[in-house]
Amino acid sequence: MDSLLQRMKKGPVSLRVHDVIIKGNTKTKDYIIEAEAEELKSVGSMQELVEASHLVNLKLKALEVFDSVKITLDSGPPELPGTANVIIEVVEAANPLSGQIGAYTKAEARSSTVEGSLKYKNLLGYGDLWDGSLAYGYDHSAEVSAGVYLPRFKGFLSPFTARAYLQSQDWLKFSSYKERSLGLSLGLFSTRHHDLAYNLAWRTLSDPSQMSSRSVRRQLGHNLLSSLKYTFKFNRRDSSMRPMRGFAFASTTQIGGLVPDSRSLRFLRQDFDLRYAVPLGFYRAALNFGISGGFVFPWGNGFLSRPSYLPERLFLGGNISPLTTFGGPTTLWGFKTRGLGPTEPRRQLNDESADPSGVDFVGGDLAVTALADLSFDIPIRWFREKGIHGHAFACAGNVSKLTENAYRDFSIKKFAESLRTSVGVGLVIPTSLFRMELNYCYILKKSDEDRAKSGVWITFSGN
Amino acid sequence: MEQQVQEREAEELTLVTRKSCFGLPTACPHSLPVFIYLKLAQIPFRLDFNSIYPDSDQIPYVESGTYVAYNNENDGVIECLKNDGIVDLDSDFHSLPDWVSTKAMISSWLSDAIMYELWVGSDGKSAYEIYYSDLSWPIGKALFLKQVYLVKQRLGITKDNAEQRENKIYKRAKFAYGALSTRLGEQKFLFDDRPSSLDATFLGHALITLYALPESSVLRSRLLEYDNIVRYAETLKLELIESGSSSSGPHFHSVPSSSAPRKGPSSWKSKPKSKSKREKTEEEKTFKKRAKYFLAAQLVAVLLFLSVMGGYDSGDVELDEDDEGFAYD
Repeated sequence: MDSLLQRMKKGPVSLRVHDVIIKGNTKTKDYIIEAEAEELKSVGSMQELVEASHLVNLKLKALEVFDSVKITLDSGPPELPGTANVIIEVVEAANPLSGQIGAYTKAEARSSTVEGSLKYKNLLGYGDLWDGSLAYGYDHSAEVSAGVYLPRFKGFLSPFTARAYLQSQDWLKFSSYKERSLGLSLGLFSTRHHDLAYNLAWRTLSDPSQMSSRSVRRQLGHNLLSSLKYTFKFNRRDSSMRPMRGFAFASTTQIGGLVPDSRSLRFLRQDFDLRYAVPLGFYRAALNFGISGGFVFPWGNGFLSRPSYLPERLFLGGNISPLTTFGGPTTLWGFKTRGLGPTEPRRQLNDESADPSGVDFVGGDLAVTALADLSFDIPIRWFREKGIHGHAFACAGNVSKLTENAYRDFSIKKFAESLRTSVGVGLVIPTSLFRMELNYCYILKKSDEDRAKSGVWITFSGN
Repeated sequence: MEQQVQEREAEELTLVTRKSCFGLPTACPHSLPVFIYLKLAQIPFRLDFNSIYPDSDQIPYVESGTYVAYNNENDGVIECLKNDGIVDLDSDFHSLPDWVSTKAMISSWLSDAIMYELWVGSDGKSAYEIYYSDLSWPIGKALFLKQVYLVKQRLGITKDNAEQRENKIYKRAKFAYGALSTRLGEQKFLFDDRPSSLDATFLGHALITLYALPESSVLRSRLLEYDNIVRYAETLKLELIESGSSSSGPHFHSVPSSSAPRKGPSSWKSKPKSKSKREKTEEEKTFKKRAKYFLAAQLVAVLLFLSVMGGYDSGDVELDEDDEGFAYD
């Protein structure tokens, strides 16, 4: 043993793997484990073998279907010198069922959701993970879904996921409509930087209050949504909850209407987000900059004069911190959910004593937001230990309509002149369950109908 | 510029119905009577379509600026237009003895008959064309099957009594046609040679039966037995629908939503009572909201205490160096 270690210290000890023996799997198919252990076949030395074994161990654990993984290195058959056998011993999960509850903020969501899910591991022996979950969002959305995750599906390079869901979202207070979707989403390709997903859904917009404005009324009904979504993410920041150094970029492209049927929803939506963090050196302070934008447009015959699909439009405002949402323009500090952008007057009842019904926020086709945030530690030890820090921020954003020939009236000057801006200071309290911000926001510029207020705001973001 | 054009469009009186087909401006039995009513009253209006919401009872609706009259409020669009003082063709007819019975007959027997014939009696192709042809196939098919089921439930049709119910529906329709044919005689309209809402409703039914239903339809053949009704339908169709299509006149009748329109006695509300009732519910609402915020604040405080005092997880991923056995022989 000592002589071997001596030899290893001096230089690479040449070795190759003769055989990979898999033990302990009763349900799991051999090829699943073999596929995760591919690196072992190509090692050329002892050092490489040790490294590769470590990697394979981690990969097999990441499948989440084994209680323990043990890799043993043995010498190869005596007639072949310089070879080794690798023995992989797995213990499959005794209890395939597990559950969890958590708070999350998804990229497309405007608010955080609380989600409870039940997982069943390895039902078919392909390393498959089945789950059923219930999610409830702060913005009156509810979802029940069931999905499956297959790490190796028929030779695909990356894992395959499929999810069937029934989702409902209540926007009555903001835009006088309710949205219900029944659909199937397939994760076709997912790596660290790229993600390709397909979504087929039956979406219904309805208005039980019967108070909606004209353009919302025109969009009520059923639609078939068949879309492909490609996301590119590049994250070189040191942390996503409190970034202090690095930059990140995300771009999401969604094309709807990929069936030959011209009656399905045809639209193109592009979002992008760029973040940059600069450390300042004192009190662990950092300056964070971000700019994000998006646009949506229908395509097909007569697309210039048609309206864009209401739920796919861009809405700004919400009760989450703009620092934590990464992927596109979503919120601004100080502005309520769907609180800014184009509006339309709601239906007026013919009753003189009725209060004015207000307006619907109908969203826009082009949105841009920008933010600047200075975060710093508070010089009190108790706060530092708990990770509670302060921040000062400023943000600006605007939403504009382009469809139905409104692009002819659009000008960048008018867009810039009507930018909403807000500034403020606050305290950030990160916990293991969620991240809370206690801010004082001051609205510098807003439009008359915007739902924004200067004052104390509390925002929650999931981890 | 574009915004001004759109704003002008929004102020005009617009009727939104299901799509046009079978040579009719709209072939939906709820929508066509409203179209004809506005034509009979000689009110200029725009016609817009919503062909993606076949299962809505809000359609047809009339809108002008921020005023909207939905079909599922106040007994229908025509009643809403009467009550809101926009147009009332029936002011002289309420006192007539047959008015109520004719209205009841048309709105029950004939309405049931056309509903049965569209969804159950004929092969369903006409109904599919009217309601689902602009929806993607899986959605259209699913909604169509759902509607057929609902119609059967509403008409009380089960497997056992299907034939009996069908005979009853056709018999009642025939009685209604007979009675209406007698009432019509050789007049131009049903009552006193002046148009009324019952003309609009009956004409709508007759046109759909004659043009939208297939030739093999039993209901259609029943209606064809009454020559004067067929003549009545064709003459009025030529007059109202084919000549001068629903294009705009030089001026538009915009509904003044801000000024007080004439209100009928039915829409007078006892104001003092409703006001105090509303104040009470406002108070309750504020109280409930405050209670909700209080509970939420308590929950957040507890969670915060537990997680902050429990320790802050920096969220770094740790690689665990665990069991890896080296065995050398």
